This record gives sequence, C-alpha cells and structure tokens, in this order.
Amino acid sequence: MMRFLSVFTRTTVSAAALTAALAAGTALAAGPTKDDLLGDTKSTGDVLTYGMGYQGQRYSPLKALTPDTVSKLVPVWSFSFGGEKQRGQEAQPLVVDGVMYVTGSYSRLYAVDARTGHKLWQYDHRLPDGIMPCCDVINRGAAVYGDKVYFGTLDARLVALNKDTGKVIWSKKTAEYKDGYSMTAAPLIVDGKIITGNSGGEFGIVGMVEARDAETGELLWQRPTIEGNKGTLGGKESTVTGVVNASWPGDMWKTGGGATWLGGTYDPETNLLYFGTGNPAPWNSHLRPGDNLYTSSTLAIDPNTGEIKWHYQTTPHDGWDFDGVNELVSFDLRMDGKVIKAGAKADRNGFFYVLDRTNGQLINASPFVSKITWAKSIDLKTGRPVYNDDNRPGAPTEGGEGKGKSVFSAPAFLGAKNWMPMAYNPDTELFYVPANEWGMDIWNEPITYKKGAAYLGAGFTIKPLYDDYIGALRAIDPKTGKIAWEYKNPAPLWGGVLTTAGNLVFTGTPEGFLKAFDAKTGKEVWKFQTGSGVVGCPITWEMDGEQYVAVVSGWGGAVPLWGGDVAKLVKDINQGGSLWVFKLPKA
Amino acid sequence: MPRLTRRSLLLAGLAAAGTAAAFRPAAARPLDDVAARGRLRIAVYRDFPPFSYRENGKMTGIDVELGRILAERLGVAADIMEHPPGETVSDDLRLAVWKGYVTGGEPADVMMHIPYDKEFALRNGEAVLFAPYQREVYALTRNPARLPNGMIATLPEGEKIGVELDTVPDFFLLGAFGGRLRSSIAHFPSVTKAIEAMRTGDVAAVLAPLSEIEGALGPQKADYPTATMTLPGMPQSGWDIGMAVKENSRDLAYALGDVITAMDADGSLDALFARYGVSRHQPAANTE
Repeated sequence: MMRFLSVFTRTTVSAAALTAALAAGTALAAGPTKDDLLGDTKSTGDVLTYGMGYQGQRYSPLKALTPDTVSKLVPVWSFSFGGEKQRGQEAQPLVVDGVMYVTGSYSRLYAVDARTGHKLWQYDHRLPDGIMPCCDVINRGAAVYGDKVYFGTLDARLVALNKDTGKVIWSKKTAEYKDGYSMTAAPLIVDGKIITGNSGGEFGIVGMVEARDAETGELLWQRPTIEGNKGTLGGKESTVTGVVNASWPGDMWKTGGGATWLGGTYDPETNLLYFGTGNPAPWNSHLRPGDNLYTSSTLAIDPNTGEIKWHYQTTPHDGWDFDGVNELVSFDLRMDGKVIKAGAKADRNGFFYVLDRTNGQLINASPFVSKITWAKSIDLKTGRPVYNDDNRPGAPTEGGEGKGKSVFSAPAFLGAKNWMPMAYNPDTELFYVPANEWGMDIWNEPITYKKGAAYLGAGFTIKPLYDDYIGALRAIDPKTGKIAWEYKNPAPLWGGVLTTAGNLVFTGTPEGFLKAFDAKTGKEVWKFQTGSGVVGCPITWEMDGEQYVAVVSGWGGAVPLWGGDVAKLVKDINQGGSLWVFKLPKA
Repeated sequence: MPRLTRRSLLLAGLAAAGTAAAFRPAAARPLDDVAARGRLRIAVYRDFPPFSYRENGKMTGIDVELGRILAERLGVAADIMEHPPGETVSDDLRLAVWKGYVTGGEPADVMMHIPYDKEFALRNGEAVLFAPYQREVYALTRNPARLPNGMIATLPEGEKIGVELDTVPDFFLLGAFGGRLRSSIAHFPSVTKAIEAMRTGDVAAVLAPLSEIEGALGPQKADYPTATMTLPGMPQSGWDIGMAVKENSRDLAYALGDVITAMDADGSLDALFARYGVSRHQPAANTE
C-alpha cells in the first residue's frame, strides 16, 4: 500500500557534514554526563535539557543580549524540516557540542551543525497506518545523555539513537498505539533513568509515569496516576496508588484517565520528579462523584522507586476538562527574609499556584486570566477551590430529549494556559506566563454517535472573551500573584517562553513572530517574522563568544483542530516546518 | 412499508448541497473514478464484531460481507479498510471519508455502519449519509439464574452488570436510580468481552446494542434471555444504521443505495444478518 509518509524507517546521514563536524572535533565527543545535565542551568555553551535546566525555569545567565543590544540580533541560518507534512512544530531544540538536536512533527528527529545549519543526519520514524493522535502530530523535543539522543513517537514508542550517527540503538513500545496512545512530550533523564509520561486515549486509559534504564531501555518502575491501580518496581508489583475506591465509585478507577501527556520536571534539591496529570474520565463529572484522585493534579514522585511523595490536586472532581498537566517550575521564593523551596504552576483552570515543593502545601493561588467562572477562589487553608456550583456542566439525564443546559465556562477547555511552558527569571523574580483569554459554551449533546452507536457527548463552542486579543503574555509576581505587566496578542499564544539575565523575555506568536520583551517592563524590543506560526520553545546559548537564539517555526497544534470560532481567526496562517537560528554578532 | 425512493434517503447538509450544485461539474466523477480504478475502498470499524472483525487473520462480518457484495454489484474489487473508531462518528467521517488521516493514507470511497439521522447529517455536511440497512436498539441479556426477572432494579447485592466503557448503557447505569447501581457496573473494552464475562459468571447481565449481543452470544442465544430495553433519561433508545460517502459522490451513493434496496426486497439482507445470528430490523426511515 502506498503511504505518504515514512515508507521506511530511515536515517539519512550527510557524509560531508559528518566529516566537517569530525574535522571540527565536535560531533564525536562522549556526550553529556549526569553532572553535565545537573549543571545545564548554569552552563551557557549548551542546552542539554527540556526546560533549560531540570527545574524548568527556561532561564539563561547570558547577558550579551539586552533590551539595548537586541536590535542587533540577526538570523544566521534557517533549516527546513522538509517533506510534505508541514505543520505543528512545538519542539524545544537541544545544543550539544556544537550540534543541535531538534524534533519535527510526524516523529522526525534532526541533528544539525549549530554553526552552519548543515544537516548531519535525519531520522524519520516509520508510522503505522491508523494512528489517530488526538491533538495533532506534534513532538515537543528530544533528550540527550552520553552517546545517545532520545525521543518519543506518535505510535507510543521511545527511541534511542546514537547522537553522532542517528543509528537506532533501541526502540521500545511504551503503550499500544491502536488503543489511542502516543508519546509527544520530551523525555526526562535523571541519574541514568529515562522518565516519561503517557499520552492520548481520551477514554479507557490510566495515566502512567515510567522509568527505564537509559542505556538499555529496560523498564525500572511504573507509577499509575489513578488511585487503586498498582505500580511496579524491578519487574514486580510494588504499591497501590492511593486507596482503592476512596475517591472513585465502582470499578471506574480502572479507566479513570489522568494521562501524564506533558511529561515532567525534576528538582535536584528535593530529589523529586513533578508530573502533572490529565482530566478524569468520563467527562461528565456527575457520573463519578468524589475527588477522582489523582486526576488534574501535580504528583511528586521519588525517581528511584516511583513512590508518590505528595500530591496537590488543582481541580478536584474536574467537570470542565481542564486537566492538570501543566509543568511545576521549581524556584526559590524569597519572602519575609526566608527562602522557601517553592514550585509554581499556571494551571489550565486559570489559577496560578505557588506550592511548597518539599511537601505540596499551598502557599498562594491567584487568577492569571481575567475571567474564571468555575470557582470563586482557592481556599488557602484547605487548598481546595471554592466552586461556583451553578456553573458545573449538567448531569446527562437532565438533558432529556433536547440539548442539555448550556453553561458558559471560562477558561475554555483548551485552558488559560495549555502545554506551552512558562519561564522564571530569578533576577526579576517574575514568572512569564503565556496565557489565553477564552471561554466556552458547553452542554450535553444528545445527537452524537460513537462507533456507529448513539452516544451522549459534550457540545462546545469556544469563544474569545475580547475583540482585540486572546493571547496574553503575563509577568506574574509569585509573592503576591499580581500581574506586573502584560503583552496582548491577537491570536492565542501557543509557544513556550525563554528569559535571560540580560533582562529579556522571548516568545513566539501564531502570527509568525519571534518577539523579545524587556523583562522588567514588558516593552516589546525586537521581533522577527519566521514565515509561519511559532508554537515552539525558544532557547539561547553561547558559541564562539557570541550569544545565539533559536526557535522552530511551523503553525499547528490543537488550536486549528479544536478551536471552533478561534480556528476561524487563525485559518489564514500558513503551516510550515523550519528551525531558525539567530545571533548577536561580535561588535 | 412505503416504497423506498432512493433520493429521499440521501441525507446531507443543505449548505453543502447548495455549494455542490453551484460549483461541481455535471460529470459523475466519483462513480466513474471507482469504475476506472476497478475497486471500491470500503471503510469498516476495526475489531467490531459481528459487523467487521478478523477471524484467523481474515476480515469478516456483516459490514464486510455487505461491502464485498456492493463492490461485486458495481463490478469492481472490494478494498476493505479497517478504521480505528475515533471519539465520535463525526471524527470517523472526517478521517475515513472526506478528509483523510493526519498521518497520510487514502480515505475510503464509502464507510459502513454510519448512523442515519437527519440532524446528525446536517452537522456533517461534508459527507452524505444514505441507505439505512439496520435499526439498532439496546437490549439486556442475562443469566436467568442470576437475574431471574430481567429487572435491573432488582439486581441482587454483589451482582454486576457488564457494559462497554464510555457508551450510552454505561452512562445510563452510572446515573440510574440516583447512582445506586454505580458500584454494580463492570466496565469492559468491548461488548464481546462483557458477554465473555457473563459466560464465565463474572457478571449477571450485559446491557448493550442488540446486534452486538446476538453476535457475541451466537448459538448460546437460547441460554441467555435477551430483551430490548428503553433507557429512561437517555436521548435515544434506537437508531438507524446506514452508510456514508463524500459529499461529491452522490452518484456513488445512488448506485450503492440501489443495491441495498434490491437486497432488502429479495430478502438477501435478512439472510446475511441471519448468517451471523443477528436479527435484522427494518430501519425507521424505511417505514415512516
């Protein structure tokens, strides 16, 4: 049968480029060690981890680029991902010994000479027929450790390749793609273990965090996110997550949801992994009374055993499909003369949470979007939301013959902040959060069908809250929850944020720009049109004494697939697939 | 039964139809394409007994056989394509019929087992829904020793009812009697697995579409009393099953619809269902 894409799994190596790299003495180094990964936040000559450091601050100590010098930032080269499939580039590139590793949509991985833009090798994963990724064909990035580079694929495999040749060393099936699983998040490598979440499968799944030996791919432990399910350690059953039926009726915990589709962060200081979990299933909350632990939560997990050390649930009994996968970013909160080991999470539900990351206790929670209809506030004593009960979508039986009661709910299910990672700048002590201002009408839809049978689904229409913008990049003071400044963008923001010691904040827009802002004031100080929407994560590093910035460009992701009226707003944006590299030339 | 008029049995969005009339050339392209290529690409649901499933590696089932007959009557080869069910049938129509998969692969010329419903058709204007060939209803099948009277409300303490996960029977039982049955529901990935659990004694009864129950019970039908059931509070207790083509392929729909009409008239449609142990019910659209 003819296939459009990846008839063969193949890696193509440019011999000339490889020779050139060899001559330069860069490509065949031993590769990053455990200590190198631990030091990624401080080392400026490379970008070794997703999040630019384990804690996920996306902060660089580089200072050459400032609001004053950024006007001299110029493109050096651009690299096309090629092929017919130009869409949905959400990756964050890595930079290792002068080589960039970047993933493209449709499960592709590229190694590119960071100085010249010459391709060293390309790996196209063979995708089987009949995969149905729920939320576009994206990939969010690779991981590197020793001589290997790793990434997850749309058919739910984890692939390890030789970083110099692109040759596959191992490829492990993590879940059954036929059941709707895929893997799109960047893997996390901690102390020789490669740690991943699971994604896809809107029903019938249980969220999972898994650790494998990075050398062999052998499974070390598994931790299901839904209480009642058993974990494994060293090939044997370990402990049960939570307590069976404590927050779920009947056997619903066996298929309760809680996917960990965005992966996680790691904090070396507490030696904890932080993974967010997705929404519970089925979507209608009236059918599953209880908190439905540990859906829509952040879990702190011991990287050695997979045991849950604490949890914090942002949306107990989620009835709005908010999900809670957003990243927890570790940072030092300086308050009242003390330094608190804190973590912050800008949740899809619209609240910005500051937690004590040693124990999950809530320190502060405040709205980071202008309209939140599902809860009045978060009770700082109990850590629980004060719900607006009138605003919970209705029970299915209330629908009867016609369309059920329609509820206007903000944020929309795409979230006040979706997958796109925020950044934290320890100099300004501000978080930079890519937010979206939208709501949705949601109702029980009686005339729907599934697999040829009558079904009771949710109907929804996403609506912008304002005429002139949806996206808003907001600087948030974690001490007070106050918004220090904001930048409004017409289209929804869908890309990650980067901040630097040079008092800059970078992020991309669907309109095609990579933009830079003054980190203290929010003044826009630079922009560059990349030719397609930017929904990836910018990075910066230093090479040959010059500061570089890179970002992938290529519109796609969930907005054009799910956005309703919003999709109309962005329908004229052309798709694409390229890596742009900029530098501030030496004076 | 009033005589079937094939044109009255084509459902499609009015807006889409208007566009088609305005811009499409008169030539009957899609039917010509099928004839020129010498094959009809037929989408069926994957792992969906008794309609479309694999037996010893080979595709079989009511929808598969019906698809093969349709191809034969057009004088072309049948190219059966297994489609993994999406979140809703609208997704299936988009992927398998009118747009194609995001990862590539050719859409089908026709998809089997698509609900035939006017309002649903209006919401899926890029597809044409036509030729209903079965009426589906819910039924409760039970082990008579475990649930003697067939009344769900009298389910004894500790007994369980099996359902396929994330279906109307699932939602109905989760909400029924103020949620009283919530702990008595056993969820399965398919009706086949639920029936298997009834055979092995893990559940006392199964609530599911009748065709799927009959297909899974097979010759054991006599041992497990099965009765149709309306589900109070749920929007629909029965629905028609037909086919779908892309909006620009009405002529193909007419040709295929003629085959279904003929098979209905000569009894071969009933016979096909009977071979799989499934009782055929005349679609409501054909009897109104």
